[in-house]
Amino acid sequence: MAEALVIKGLSKRFGGLRAVQDVSFTVQENETVALIGPNGAGKTTSFHLITGFHRPDSGSVLAFGHEVVGLKPHDVCALGMARTFQVAKPFGAMTVLANVMTGAFLRDRHIAAARSKAREAIEFVGLGAREQTPAKDLTTIDQRRLEMARALATQPRILLLDEVMAGLNPAEIDQAVALVKKLSASGLTIVIVEHVMRAIMAVARHIVVLDHGQKIAEGAPKEIVENPEVIRAYLGSYVHPPGDAHA
Amino acid sequence: MWETLAQAVINGLLIGGIYALVSIGVTLIFGVVKIVNFAQGEFVMIGMYISFFLATQFGIDPLVSLVVSMPVLFLAGVLIQHFLIRRVLGPNDMPQIFLTFALSLLLLNLSLMLFSANYRTVHTFYSDEAWHIGGLYIPVAKLIAFAVAMALSGLLWVFLHTTDLGRAMRAASQNRDVAMLMGINPNRVFAVAFGTALALAGAAGSLLMPFYSAYPFVGQVFVLMAFVAVVMGTLGNVMGALVASLMMGIAESLGIQFVGADSGLIVVFGLLLLTLAFRPSGLGARRGR
Amino acid sequence: MQTSGTLKWLGLAIGAVVMLALPQLVTSSFAIDIFIRILLFSFIGVAWNLMGGYAKQLSLGHAAYFGLGAYTSTIMQVNYGISPWIGMIAGGVVAMLASLPIGWLCFRLRGPYFTIATIATAQVLMLIFLKFRDFAWGAEGTTIPNLGSAPLMMQFEEKSSYYYVVLGLLAVGLWITHRIEKSWMGYYLVAIGEDEDAAEAVGVNAPKIKRDIYMISAFLTALAGTFYTQYIYFIDPATAFSFNVSIEAALVSIVGGIGTLWGPVIGTVLLETTSALLQSWLGSSVGGIQLTVYSLILMAVILWRPTGLIGFATDVYHRTLRRKPARA
Repeated sequence: MAEALVIKGLSKRFGGLRAVQDVSFTVQENETVALIGPNGAGKTTSFHLITGFHRPDSGSVLAFGHEVVGLKPHDVCALGMARTFQVAKPFGAMTVLANVMTGAFLRDRHIAAARSKAREAIEFVGLGAREQTPAKDLTTIDQRRLEMARALATQPRILLLDEVMAGLNPAEIDQAVALVKKLSASGLTIVIVEHVMRAIMAVARHIVVLDHGQKIAEGAPKEIVENPEVIRAYLGSYVHPPGDAHA
Repeated sequence: MWETLAQAVINGLLIGGIYALVSIGVTLIFGVVKIVNFAQGEFVMIGMYISFFLATQFGIDPLVSLVVSMPVLFLAGVLIQHFLIRRVLGPNDMPQIFLTFALSLLLLNLSLMLFSANYRTVHTFYSDEAWHIGGLYIPVAKLIAFAVAMALSGLLWVFLHTTDLGRAMRAASQNRDVAMLMGINPNRVFAVAFGTALALAGAAGSLLMPFYSAYPFVGQVFVLMAFVAVVMGTLGNVMGALVASLMMGIAESLGIQFVGADSGLIVVFGLLLLTLAFRPSGLGARRGR
Repeated sequence: MQTSGTLKWLGLAIGAVVMLALPQLVTSSFAIDIFIRILLFSFIGVAWNLMGGYAKQLSLGHAAYFGLGAYTSTIMQVNYGISPWIGMIAGGVVAMLASLPIGWLCFRLRGPYFTIATIATAQVLMLIFLKFRDFAWGAEGTTIPNLGSAPLMMQFEEKSSYYYVVLGLLAVGLWITHRIEKSWMGYYLVAIGEDEDAAEAVGVNAPKIKRDIYMISAFLTALAGTFYTQYIYFIDPATAFSFNVSIEAALVSIVGGIGTLWGPVIGTVLLETTSALLQSWLGSSVGGIQLTVYSLILMAVILWRPTGLIGFATDVYHRTLRRKPARA
């Protein structure tokens, strides 16, 4: 198996706050890795650093051997790394189809080709019936689906999912878990930030735990749940500790 | 040479006090309500016309008419916030920008219809008075305006730092949710912020009247100055707006003195563009992150 | 689909015939003057709408490009005897080039601060041209030498000829908008307008797209500047860089329907007709009345119909459509 994503010594300060501090981890091709940690641990900031939305103070991010630090988000996307946002950012006034076509144009600027590529992605995430709905009228889970479809349409090799399950009910979480598994089965490398432990245990083969911007543990799900330092990090935070099904 | 320079600095500083009242209003609204009020200058104009009519119809001194213009504009601010601004708050920029812009156009052109484009002045017993200190010349009316402007800014600072409502406004300007948690009705906070900002603009108008002409377009000079000052200071920061306004006044005055009488505005816009070029972060760039 | 496509072409053909025949049917010079104003401001609105409407970069400084277009062609014509037809294109190129540094500055800001920065750049250009006395006549401006009938110098004896020139400009503007709207570029523009970060995340090079559309918008606006100067035979900084041009460009688009093909045209028809009626009713003696009414219309649209008249019409159309099957 090849290394899809190699992160080394990633650091970022905001004023006096060390948001991310010397974080390193590696994601193998076609592996699903979860990034977990209490609120403010630096998960979303790490995503911003990896995808070019923020520039790290130091460190390197190699995607299939290409250095992406210093690249703009659209360049990172063109290199095959797509992301979703913690708070879904649909193009509200556009239909679902137009949203996803916007992603598809990255690889093919012809309308017809983009449309068929977009329809494929929409079918894949199960939004086929909503194709002509304005994105602003979608439910929360459908907006998350839309974000995934839009990211998929850019034909990524690595997909970064930022809390795609937040705010979903248990039945919807099951659907989302099934979708992530389906994405992985299609050959994608996935990095997922998530609070819902039940979902993480179901999809991740490898977990990286952040706390106060630092990596405090990594390993297989079973090891992580029993790691005393991880449990300590979660105590006293708002988030339920790992193992609690309803976070 | 040094005297000319000192004189220019004094002139700039004195008018900078008025700019400060306008900028503080702009920055207060931006901080709390999260919109840019394009019509702020027109409320300075309205303050001037209120003082002008009270002076010519009832012989009331413009400085005294401050006690009328400020409450009237406070009330106007509360009403505008309640009936207009409240309806366009949200993530979309377009309605916010163009609603206050339309308000600015409306007030400007209404006053053009009602009062014509004529320049109106009020002559008070202190309008031509000046102190001579060394070789320097300090007009009394401008000095009073500056002193009152600083006093009002100070009062606002005390209000923001010592009262519950003031603290709520400061909290709201940092984090909307915090203000909610404090159990304070955001609509009330918004209305007070908007009203206070307009009252400050009204005060600026009344303070200007003894030495400045009222005409429908007068507000545009002040609002442009305020935008520059607010962009140069940190957005939503009252002290930043105050300091930047005084600096703007001085820069404009130096421009007039050393570049040419019609160069004040070029200097100001030049400063704005330089600020944009070299200090764009934290100036509304990357908003909503 | 087939019939609706045919209907569209039929409508367009009828519209074109009516527009071409109009100056032959209505010969009053007052009326033709109003038609020319409507076409001109529709065209300026169309140019603004490409960037302001689709990509939601709300500029209030398009007078900068109107003025640059007007001055470029006039300087070339008056000082060097070059035809305004060539000057018009040159003006467009100058405006395009000017949009690069101006955009570099202004696009660092978002939302209302972008708008303020655009106002400032247009004002700075006006101030600069006030100072250029040597080759641009300073504050007094200059009149364009009247050559009588000289089509090659964009001078006509018949007002209707000016009408056809500006009608052609508008047609070009609408055609460009249509082509962009139906291509990847249109999707990218709307995406940037909706959420720039999300657009970047799916591979949209937002700074480049904004720069490109700003160049196109500036180019078209400059053409309008040249035309207007030729039409009124006069130029000075206050007219060429008038804030009112910036305002009206944005206003007609918002009132008609921001980010739609026909929005600026419909907005201009409403606003200019209102303005003409007011003028014939009150005379032009009451200063400020036109913009007072414009600002009231603008406020009404923003508070009740943020999608403009087009949005309103579409709503009504859909509502009646939905009701029809229920009745049948």
